[in-house]
Amino acid sequence: MSKKIQKILIANRSEIAVRVINACQAMGIKSVALYSDADKNSKHKMIADEAVYIGEAAPQKSYLDIEKIISAAKETNADAIHPGYGFLAENPQLAIRCAEENIIFIGPSADAINLLGNKVESRIKMEDAGIPLIPGMKKSETDLDIYKKAADEAGYPVMVKAAAGGGGKGMRVVHKAKDLKDAVSAAKREAKNAFNNDSVYLEKYIVNPRHIEFQILADTHGNTIHLFERECSIQRRHQKIIEETPSVAMTDELRIRMGADAVRVAQAAGYVNAGTVEFLLDESGHYYFLEMNTRIQVEHPITEMVTSTDLVIEQIRIAQGESIEHLKNIQQSGHAIECRIYAEDGENNFMPSIGEILHYKEPSGPGIRVDSGVQKGTEVTIDYDPIMAKLIVHAPSREIAISKMILALHQFKILGVKTSKKYMVDILSHPEFLKGNTFTDFIEKYMSEREDFSENFKELVAASAAVCYANAVHGNSHAHTQETAPSPWHLLGAIQIGDSIHA
Amino acid sequence: MHNLEFDFKGESVSAEVEKSQTAFRVKSGEKEFVFEPNGENQYYVNVNGTKYLAAVVSHKGKYFIDIDSMLFELSDPQADAVVGGSGGQTGEKDKIFAPMPGKIVKLLVAVGDEIKEKQAMVIVEAMKMENQVNSLANGKVKAIHFGEGDQVDTENPIIELELDEE
Repeated sequence: MSKKIQKILIANRSEIAVRVINACQAMGIKSVALYSDADKNSKHKMIADEAVYIGEAAPQKSYLDIEKIISAAKETNADAIHPGYGFLAENPQLAIRCAEENIIFIGPSADAINLLGNKVESRIKMEDAGIPLIPGMKKSETDLDIYKKAADEAGYPVMVKAAAGGGGKGMRVVHKAKDLKDAVSAAKREAKNAFNNDSVYLEKYIVNPRHIEFQILADTHGNTIHLFERECSIQRRHQKIIEETPSVAMTDELRIRMGADAVRVAQAAGYVNAGTVEFLLDESGHYYFLEMNTRIQVEHPITEMVTSTDLVIEQIRIAQGESIEHLKNIQQSGHAIECRIYAEDGENNFMPSIGEILHYKEPSGPGIRVDSGVQKGTEVTIDYDPIMAKLIVHAPSREIAISKMILALHQFKILGVKTSKKYMVDILSHPEFLKGNTFTDFIEKYMSEREDFSENFKELVAASAAVCYANAVHGNSHAHTQETAPSPWHLLGAIQIGDSIHA
Repeated sequence: MHNLEFDFKGESVSAEVEKSQTAFRVKSGEKEFVFEPNGENQYYVNVNGTKYLAAVVSHKGKYFIDIDSMLFELSDPQADAVVGGSGGQTGEKDKIFAPMPGKIVKLLVAVGDEIKEKQAMVIVEAMKMENQVNSLANGKVKAIHFGEGDQVDTENPIIELELDEE
């Protein structure tokens, strides 16, 4: 399968499409973008060597239409397809169709996608491979003794959960054996009312969990490595919003054990290419396998920052049959954080915000990276996931990375749509975040009551509007002279730290 | 020299702006600021020893402002009318609108229900996210114009209320 890829079609849009096109350009590979009606003026369409119209804005009629994507690849003579994340990235059918058409799919095999996409099957497989899973019952029972036995085996506290569950209904945390019977009955009643199904099961309750994931790379020569962890505990409604690496909870010893298990998960699944093994880590250093994601992740840049790698380039190299031998002695250096910049109103329940981007200015400086799919003039529509950009910083220590991120958020100016920048600044400057008390309930616990200081800024806000008015009235000749004075970082050239490519 | 008056969350705030050689000087309320340009639409402002980076543009009768990650929108006092679909923002408290075009996932109230301010009324899905729309006032549900699964825009009210008398 050693074949140099000449042209890659990117079956995705916005920031991840831009990211993949950049990797293609760095490798001298031609790129083909796809665009829907909603993306006619998009950045990813503009920067690719070629662009193919793929249909209406609705994803089913464009970015999710496998046959249209395959024809676009054949029409442009693309010899490989990169799926990005989301859309078809974890749909085995695209991998199967690629194989049938002799197109290289830049990702794992359809078999691996199938196995890891099936929660039940993958858990059985991983249990056989000796990977720790959250202990507990696999299905609902009628006999209370089975619940008692399962709880004793898992160890208290345990959580009784509705099989049809969701939204906390039919859920009970039980700390002592004597309370189990009542909790099971209560959960059954609640589940019956909420879902018309009183099936409940039980598993170990993880106290103060953190979401820890390991980046995996595996080649076709039998090499599987991990590129250390990412902590993604800061989540809102199961949506990650801030990620960092290394995790403050990690010790060298734990990293070695978890990393080795992550590699074993990938090996057990016969995995090739880039993937991510997700774990829950509890207070006492026990960890449990959740799932493996068979794609490049949104948060991959923080791993690239601390390991000086380019994971998309490695994905392409693996897909053309190259070895990852050169990465075997990879080191972790410094601390990296990512903030996801969504078109959502952080001050109003994260309501999606649409509109034209009227002003756009990225921050810059050593260790500051922006992966963006938008620019001034981009129309943010309701058709797609509202991610606009990712802001990533890299610094020698966590403390410096945090303050650098806050500064970079202040300097990242996007006007015309709402963002949650201020919300993220508030997380990053929260004393519990600074202490590293980043558990998965952080948002619920510390962010529900935020103070609003905007009243203190009313004069400054009015003054800003007045300056805008005056500037327009006077013509902006003056502003233009200022604009031509470049930032000192731009004088250093276009290369930023973290963009460095490890070949 | 320009004298302007802005509406900040229902409160009137004045601003007197003057352009000098290299900067803009503004008096607003009791406070005075110097805005130093930092590229197109951006300014550094020193407030009691803290430097803020402000970005501001005007578009269709509105000013969009970012001051160190805090976002604000002000109506242009010179503009004739404010554009916008959301009735909630223009003071029609007796009508519940979708915040943006989308699909009704769940209606949480029925005609005749007594409603408290901030009570959840309807969930609208847009951009793959579910958004809860709350009542802006106390009252009683008078009419519901759409059903679950219907597509809605921002112009036509989903729910109408009979407001309690203040």
